[in-house]
Amino acid sequence: MINFLQYMFFYIIFSLPLTLSYRTTKVINFVHANFITYGAYVAVFLHGMFGNTSILLAAIIAFLIVGSMAVLDNLLVFTPLQKRGSSPAMIMISSMGLWIAYRYILYMLTDIAHFYISKNFVSYGRITYADVPSITLGGVTLSQSFIAGMIAATIVILAIYLFLEKTRIGRAMRAISDNEVLAGISGIPKDILINLTWFICGGIVAIGGVLWTSFSGAITPEAGDSMILQVFTIGFIGGLVSLWRTGVGAIIISAMENIGIAFLNAFLGVPVSFRPFLTFATLITTLVLFPPLGAGGGLPYRFRKRRLLK
Amino acid sequence: MAHVGSSTVPLPSIRKRPFSIKLIVMILIPLIIGVALGYGIAFATMGGGGVTTIPSEKTVYKIGFTLPLTGELSSIGKIWEKVVSLAMEDLNNEVASYGFNVEFNAVVLDDATSDEKALQNVQSLSQQGIRVIIGPAASSQVKVVKTYADNNKIVVISPSSTSPTLAIPNDFIFRTVGSDAGQARALSTLAYQEGARKPVVFFRNDEYGNAFAEFLEQNFREKGVTISKLSYQTGLSDYASEVATLASKVQSEGADSVILIAFDTDGANILSHAAESEILSKVRWFISEGPHGASELLAPAVGKFASKVKLYGTRPLFIANPLYEDFKTRMKEKFGIEPAVFCDNLYDAIKLAGWAILRAGSYDGEAIKNTLPEVAKTHYGPSGWAMFDAAGDKAQQDYGVWAIVSTTEGYQFKDVGVFERGSVVFTEQSYP
Amino acid sequence: MIGFDVVGFLISWLTLFGIYSILAITLNVESGISGITNFGKVVFYGIGAYVSATLTTYLILMLNGIDVNKTPPYNINGVILLGELGNKNPFLNIGLFILAVVLSFVVAGLIGYLLTYPILRVGPEFVGFTLLSSGELLRIFLTHYEPVGASRGLMAIPNPFGWVPDSRIRETLYLILVLSFLALTYFVMKKLVNSPFGRVLKATRDDETAALCMGKHVPRTKATVLSIGSGFSGVAGVLLSYYFTSVNPNMFVPAVTFNAWAMIILGGLGNIVGSLLGAAIITFVDRALTFIIPLLGTTIISPDYLRGLLVGLLIVVVLLVNPKGLLPEKPIETPASKEVEKELSEKGR
Repeated sequence: MINFLQYMFFYIIFSLPLTLSYRTTKVINFVHANFITYGAYVAVFLHGMFGNTSILLAAIIAFLIVGSMAVLDNLLVFTPLQKRGSSPAMIMISSMGLWIAYRYILYMLTDIAHFYISKNFVSYGRITYADVPSITLGGVTLSQSFIAGMIAATIVILAIYLFLEKTRIGRAMRAISDNEVLAGISGIPKDILINLTWFICGGIVAIGGVLWTSFSGAITPEAGDSMILQVFTIGFIGGLVSLWRTGVGAIIISAMENIGIAFLNAFLGVPVSFRPFLTFATLITTLVLFPPLGAGGGLPYRFRKRRLLK
Repeated sequence: MAHVGSSTVPLPSIRKRPFSIKLIVMILIPLIIGVALGYGIAFATMGGGGVTTIPSEKTVYKIGFTLPLTGELSSIGKIWEKVVSLAMEDLNNEVASYGFNVEFNAVVLDDATSDEKALQNVQSLSQQGIRVIIGPAASSQVKVVKTYADNNKIVVISPSSTSPTLAIPNDFIFRTVGSDAGQARALSTLAYQEGARKPVVFFRNDEYGNAFAEFLEQNFREKGVTISKLSYQTGLSDYASEVATLASKVQSEGADSVILIAFDTDGANILSHAAESEILSKVRWFISEGPHGASELLAPAVGKFASKVKLYGTRPLFIANPLYEDFKTRMKEKFGIEPAVFCDNLYDAIKLAGWAILRAGSYDGEAIKNTLPEVAKTHYGPSGWAMFDAAGDKAQQDYGVWAIVSTTEGYQFKDVGVFERGSVVFTEQSYP
Repeated sequence: MIGFDVVGFLISWLTLFGIYSILAITLNVESGISGITNFGKVVFYGIGAYVSATLTTYLILMLNGIDVNKTPPYNINGVILLGELGNKNPFLNIGLFILAVVLSFVVAGLIGYLLTYPILRVGPEFVGFTLLSSGELLRIFLTHYEPVGASRGLMAIPNPFGWVPDSRIRETLYLILVLSFLALTYFVMKKLVNSPFGRVLKATRDDETAALCMGKHVPRTKATVLSIGSGFSGVAGVLLSYYFTSVNPNMFVPAVTFNAWAMIILGGLGNIVGSLLGAAIITFVDRALTFIIPLLGTTIISPDYLRGLLVGLLIVVVLLVNPKGLLPEKPIETPASKEVEKELSEKGR
């Protein structure tokens, strides 16, 4: 049960930025996995090389570094490709190339760090932070990562909501995601805003990565990769455009993964190793039953079974 | 954007700048550096082919390596890389001290813990003329590599593959590590001796885990104990929900112990989560060799958990082996890391490879395949006696018991016992 | 770099190139020309590989009178038996191979057909993701399914040319086999595309609604393309399983599909020759780098990391230089259009 909530926090922090970045920039970004990993590794390096135990400091630095990474990607790769008329599929593949490249860069960085500090960074243990408490309520211990996750997720949700609803910049961002051409015509500086979107999205995910270091027992340069499928699944439930549906998706998937598999195991004897199966089965079911409006869909009228006009 | 007041409004067109200078510079520089380094060193070393004989100079033999430097086994793979450089140095010194005018060079490739890349590496290495390859680490990789090695007469020595389905005689695959059947016996004896009567075996749903769990089941049945099995999917990012299921299983069955069969990253992850579970902190824990040596287990969260549950693990080890102690000290001095599991098996594999090549007198795969078991018969190294059995696997493998103890420098791995003549003897008391 | 085995390099490179090209070509036809963003290519690949592996290992044991319930091919005794019996009877090996190819084509094609149903209702990104998930579903299922070896997979799969004594000849024969299948796939796909049917495919990709208005049965078109493409991918899987002589579920991960996508985008979406080019580049670069990298010696950084980095950067750079891929999409050349062109060029003189 606790795990369900814990995972919910993580998934929210990881997937909301994905939806936000896609709907504003229309780029399916595989580097998202690296955002998670790099965020985690900022915390790891700070801890391993400088002995930092403040989660807040790690979060801030991670936000800045990974955010800038995201902007850099956009400036050097995505925007030039878009200007030259690349299709979204091409841009997606270029993000895949970046994903591979970033992974190896991180391996190289761990090598360099090892040379200086003689610690194996390729696999790093859980970090216990000094500035987040671990509370015990009525016999149930809420770990550090739970508290931090809860706070962070709440802040993120509130921040995104307030930003998009109340501020001018936020509304401008929504304008771009709804209709790019009109937004441009009405005087919104598209390029600056898109860069800002990348910065924010990369940054938020990085914070998630930092939190991940206090939860997982083993951080490797491929940590983000194993999660990327689930994060994308959640994004897809939201149609990659609706933030509400994404949030709901996070809750559903977290529930399936934690509570669902426990039920199935206890009552039907389904092996626990079927867990990833469940995630995908949920996705397919959701897509079939409630096709999202986001990225197009729906069977052509001629081939639908039920017709309204007979 | 249209400017108000200008007569001609240039239509926004896609400005075709042929190249972006910034970008080219950013991309080309690492490429140029890489290629330049490559050529520079190529000219300098005059390498090529597996053997080069320069008159009145040393004969250079190349030994190929395919290690998991990225991917699931990368944390161990990185440590192995260091072992390789230590072992090659030792080998060259030893060989020189016997008066041979020979030098061995290592060619190391990363196989990303993937089957296909392992095959690709073996193919590339053999096409560069190399006839002896050390690695790959995982049994599934060895399986893919086997046919090519057998067909092209390449000797492959794996220091860590323990699948029972590879115990095939008369092939070119050798393994300097004993089968897990032996370790399962040690682990089950350890658990039984420590009082486990209702264990739950929590294991990886892959070949290693499945085979191990089966052996455990058999061993425990001989002792009259029925075990409970729970497997988990490998390669996931996090195992919190699996651990939760484990906890409820432990509770519902009233189990008194958990036996964990894992690798390092998943093992560390699982232990970290178990540390937070009330239920799981009340039972005894026993582990296989996978997580040994992984620094993540030395994090305070896990260390405390270890003492609470009196965690013991088994691993292949020749106890009271002065060569092993020596090896350990030198690794610590040179690289600042403790040798992890299979490092000793790897070290011996390298030594064996070198001596087998020398004994064969020529760099020929078939010849080396025949001399390797001969050399192994009289070789004693950090992993003990290197002798092979009929199937080309390590004949005598002892097992040791390890624990995570608290020292002045934080938590450390410590070997605290041996598995001897069917029972476990502790050499020191690690948990008060 | 004297003293390296060029022939061996070419054989091992071209065999894998051949197998991947089949995947790339079919993917290009499905996604580049018909607009079905197939991210589940590995499903059909895996099915083909497993069908052939299971069929061959079980049949060889059974035809030699061995009780497969006692010694299934995935335990050690079965493996040793397979090793001994596998290369005795050339006709048996080749016969089983042909049977495996046919069966895999049918099964993979059928699954392709069935998978068209869930994807008709959703847009392109979702098609991709649904197919991707089915890939993962298959993999997890295989990891649990005991008769195909579960997590151990199957090994010692007898190669159709296993009875040939010389290994170099054996490898070359296998390479010729792979390349023949590649040629077959190429010509079939080319015929498929350069025909009125090909025009319907492009129409479906460009504007489904318009195609519907013109009376084209879009779902049936998609189903046809997906099943044929999947059938050929299954054949590629067969070739892989015989080449590796072992299969296990972890070989069939989404990364394989991503690899194929990278190949077709590099080479140019919509251009079949382009997929060959893309496959060639990607398989070549990774392999060639394994020759150069060791020359860098050991430094602080494992030099092999450069290999991965360069492959990733290569993809990005090629895309930046040629955003539409290396080769452009060609117009459809049916016999009729060729006649028209001839007429026009003659009239022009």
